[in-house]
Amino acid sequence: MLSYLIRRLLLMALTLFGVSIAIFLLLRIVPGNIADILFDSAGLIDPAEKAKIVADLGLDLPLYQQYWQWIGGLLQGDLGYSYVSEKPVLEEIAPRIPITAKIAALALIFSVIAGVPLGVISAVRQNTPLDYLLRVTSLSGLSMPSFWLGLLILMAFVHYLGTIPIYDREPATFMAGFTMLAVPAAAVGFRSSALIMRLTRSSMLEVLRQDFVRTARSKGLSEGAVTYNHALRNALLPVITTIGIEVAFLFGGLIVTETVFNIPGVARFLVEAIRWRDYPMVQNLVMFTATIVVVVNLIVDLIYMVIDPRIRYSE
Amino acid sequence: MAALLGRMAVACLVSAGVFAGSALAQKQGGVLKVTHRDNPPSASIHEEATISTDMPFMAVFNNLVIFDPESSQNRPDRIVPDLATSWTTEDGGKRVVFKLREGVRWHDGKPFTSADVKCTWDIVTGRVDGKMRKNPRKTWWWNIKEVTTNGPNEVTFQLGSPQPSLLVMMAGGFSPVYPCHVTGPQMRTNPIGTGPFKFVQFKQNEGIKLARNPDYWKPGKPYLDGIEYTIIPSRATAILALVAGRHDLTLTGELNPENAKEIQTQVPQMQCIVQPSNTQGNLLINRDKPPFDDERLRRALVLSIDRKAFSEILSRGVNKIGGAMLAPPEGIWGWSPEYMETVPGYGGDVEKSREEGRKIMRELGYGPDKMMPLKVSTRNVASYRDSSVILIDHLKSVYIQGELEVLDSSVWYAKMLKKDYAVGMNVQGTGIDDPDVQFFENYTCGSERNYTGYCNPELEKLYRAQSQMTDFETRKKLVWDIDKKLQEDAARPVIYQSQGATCWWPHVKGLKLAINSIYNHWRFDDVWLER
Amino acid sequence: MSTTVSQDRPTKPSFFNEVFYLARRYPLGVAGAIIMATFVMCALFANFVAPLDPFSTNARASLARPSETHLLGADMMGRDVLSRIIHGARISLAVAVGATIMGSGLGAALGLASGYLGGWFDLIIQRVSEVMQSLPLLVMALVITASLGPSLRNTIIAIAIPLVPTVARVIRSNVLSLREMPFVEAAKATGMSEFRIAVVHVLPNTLAPLIVLATAQLGSTILTEASLSFLGLGVPEPYPSWGRMLSESAAEYVRTAPWLVIFPGLAISLVVFGSNLMGDALRDALDPRQRD
Repeated sequence: MLSYLIRRLLLMALTLFGVSIAIFLLLRIVPGNIADILFDSAGLIDPAEKAKIVADLGLDLPLYQQYWQWIGGLLQGDLGYSYVSEKPVLEEIAPRIPITAKIAALALIFSVIAGVPLGVISAVRQNTPLDYLLRVTSLSGLSMPSFWLGLLILMAFVHYLGTIPIYDREPATFMAGFTMLAVPAAAVGFRSSALIMRLTRSSMLEVLRQDFVRTARSKGLSEGAVTYNHALRNALLPVITTIGIEVAFLFGGLIVTETVFNIPGVARFLVEAIRWRDYPMVQNLVMFTATIVVVVNLIVDLIYMVIDPRIRYSE
Repeated sequence: MAALLGRMAVACLVSAGVFAGSALAQKQGGVLKVTHRDNPPSASIHEEATISTDMPFMAVFNNLVIFDPESSQNRPDRIVPDLATSWTTEDGGKRVVFKLREGVRWHDGKPFTSADVKCTWDIVTGRVDGKMRKNPRKTWWWNIKEVTTNGPNEVTFQLGSPQPSLLVMMAGGFSPVYPCHVTGPQMRTNPIGTGPFKFVQFKQNEGIKLARNPDYWKPGKPYLDGIEYTIIPSRATAILALVAGRHDLTLTGELNPENAKEIQTQVPQMQCIVQPSNTQGNLLINRDKPPFDDERLRRALVLSIDRKAFSEILSRGVNKIGGAMLAPPEGIWGWSPEYMETVPGYGGDVEKSREEGRKIMRELGYGPDKMMPLKVSTRNVASYRDSSVILIDHLKSVYIQGELEVLDSSVWYAKMLKKDYAVGMNVQGTGIDDPDVQFFENYTCGSERNYTGYCNPELEKLYRAQSQMTDFETRKKLVWDIDKKLQEDAARPVIYQSQGATCWWPHVKGLKLAINSIYNHWRFDDVWLER
Repeated sequence: MSTTVSQDRPTKPSFFNEVFYLARRYPLGVAGAIIMATFVMCALFANFVAPLDPFSTNARASLARPSETHLLGADMMGRDVLSRIIHGARISLAVAVGATIMGSGLGAALGLASGYLGGWFDLIIQRVSEVMQSLPLLVMALVITASLGPSLRNTIIAIAIPLVPTVARVIRSNVLSLREMPFVEAAKATGMSEFRIAVVHVLPNTLAPLIVLATAQLGSTILTEASLSFLGLGVPEPYPSWGRMLSESAAEYVRTAPWLVIFPGLAISLVVFGSNLMGDALRDALDPRQRD
């Protein structure tokens, strides 16, 4: 167990190292740099002044030096300065993380609360009209672009309630903050809930057919007890895995949702940073999300191991 | 005639009640909430050329002189004191001496002196390194030879030749006085000024906060406790936020006339004004490379354009048609409608022009069965793309089969600089309605903004000649002729002059906008909230 | 009628019987196939199906409401929304099919090689795909489109690359389990070359999961394209892309022209819905473990 953990942690470090190289090089391939963007915004073309900015930011150094400057600083906790705002990257990112984290957490909670029970119902009532209805609904959840759903929700809010749930100032009360984040969370979580529902359903069906469930049934346990005690517990495993995968996916959904609802979170910020070629910002943000994804996956695997002792980690 | 039209426009606006309310009792307090469209590149006005920086940060500063806020048109004869209390011209206009206001302090408590004025212009003329990343309006100040201080309260600008437009450029929102003791990088992130509002916060992609400057040199002003800009990149979301009452005012010129109409159907009491947004759509033609090194082909291209259709499709006919200078009645220097008729391609009969274009093309060996292929480059920005789509539609009429090449903003200017294009659809802004600004910025040989590298020494002499003229009417005639020549030469054919809308709730009082510029009236020291 | 179908099926699987059988067995899948077929037809014959030119601008039709001339209304520039949606199907499907084929093909090749060759090659591919999978898909697509520039081809590449590791991993694990299968062992015993075994025995057996996986990806590629276009980074003008139709002026005219928001969004949802229905049915049919 311990050696497995150590092995996993080492692999994690290796993966993150790979991510750092990948994003570093990808950004350097993208045409144009911060100087181009800055001059573009002022409508200027002056190669000499541009070269000065490039030199000031150290963008004319050999790539390995630039990489070392970044990663060396990162290892010591120094994330560097944003090219655009000229403020420390940490100062820019830190206040935005909780906002995105809250939406992501709300979306996940929402998707589990809605997805798991509906999946169970759908499996237990397999091939009934209710099952079909739930399946079609969940499929449409997977089919709608989340930004479109977000736009429709915004339109409905303004039309029927005369108010707009966008994040344009810091919420004063807890409740205000909650409602401000709950609506976008629902919009982005709808997709995840549909996915979780489908997975719960199919793994429930598989488990319901298995021997130990049949045994439980034959021992005279009530249908409800069988469903909830035996089948659901076993069916939850793939659901937990999906949550691990969904974290990476959710971030993509958050990018567009934060744009529609104007939420100043890290996801939208990352898109802006890419647009501005703000390398330190993009690099550190990508490292941050990759770390989250990798850690969540590790935790999911560990949970898996705890819940299901049948799985041995030797490989 | 144009001046008369201008005055009529002013009268109309006043009677329409847009500027009404200055006689009412002002109320102290409240925070004005404004929607913003994108993240300003920095807080330093001198380094930027966009309304994104100009509008939010103009209230932090003062200028030497300013356009009279009571006048609804920015005019050379309506310039009033700001940090300068008075000014005199000497040596036949080659020396301008400003007397400065005493007792003014920067937001950090340091006193304002003539050294600050000298510093500012030494930096923007490029004589002193102010640690600015870029200096977009260096061409404006080509005529300044030296700035000298005579004691703490007097400063002299020595010019190469008399230049009435100098004061006009100084009066614009893009020409604030910067403190000498604050460095360039700090001005970009944490600007210090003398203006009615102090800088509080600028959070990237989130918003800007300003707070009332209690020690402002205008007694009793400003009325507002603060101003907050929220960055809402999606225009749809911004409109919803305004309509829902979360914001009081929109970023100026950012809405289109159709948006304004939509907003007013939802909230009939909303105040919206549609005015020139000081941006124009124009064509960049690469005259140094085939095929457009051929003057006949340039001419055929220009003849295919139906300016009216552009205006109709892009703005339902609200966009103006004109040359480089802003068309009357809003603009001071634009052609009169009668004069415009005489400019090639501006006559009403598009079919006739196109027939002429087709004739040229046939002579060059093209026809309906042999269309000339052409790559039209544009930026990956909605307003650019929309215009290009129409352009390609029109090019078909002179046997040109256009294909659109959409470029990322980061490579657009690099491509222009390398002359790696044939035709570019461009949208550009001009800070002030003034011929010196327009000609020296965009059409002189070697200017940083002269993307096509159009260089005509004969015209260059005329730019300088008009620049020195003191008589308004004579100067205007010459400006008209220069503008006509520019269009005839297809230097940068102007296709439309955009109009933009600004909307605010009626409880915002004391907003006074000028009709010929969106850049110069955001000091906010007269604005109050009547809730 | 229906009884004959089920009786006939095992002996005489004529085309129509097959269709009826499938329709009964997978009604939702067939519905999905019909939806997809409709969109594919629209895409292939856009020039004939679309009532108007999707590019031609018309000042008088600006924001025209749905009518006989403009069945689904017109946009700000007076372009017919229905025609743009029909032509937009081309972009959506071209990106979906192109990216799926490219991503799955590359992924399958790498997965096959990785599972079969093992060793260093496998290790490197494994680590690289782990790296790619820890980057959010949309972020990767964003950076790739930014570096390649906006065009149809580049959008396809940008969406295809993030698909590669997912496919590679599934195929690899499939290959690993196949290698232990008796028939592969038997082939080895007869002295068949490794390469031939891989092509003759292993590859065909990975086709089913590959098809299931690819169909499942179709929908998500369409959604990714729409998201990219919505953020202004997808397929550029003048091609009408559904995502871009939603992104720009559309939502600004909610009150006066709701059709600009509703119809392109419906088109995206419908085609993704269709491909998902089809993907589900295919999975059920080809992957017996998941059959319910």
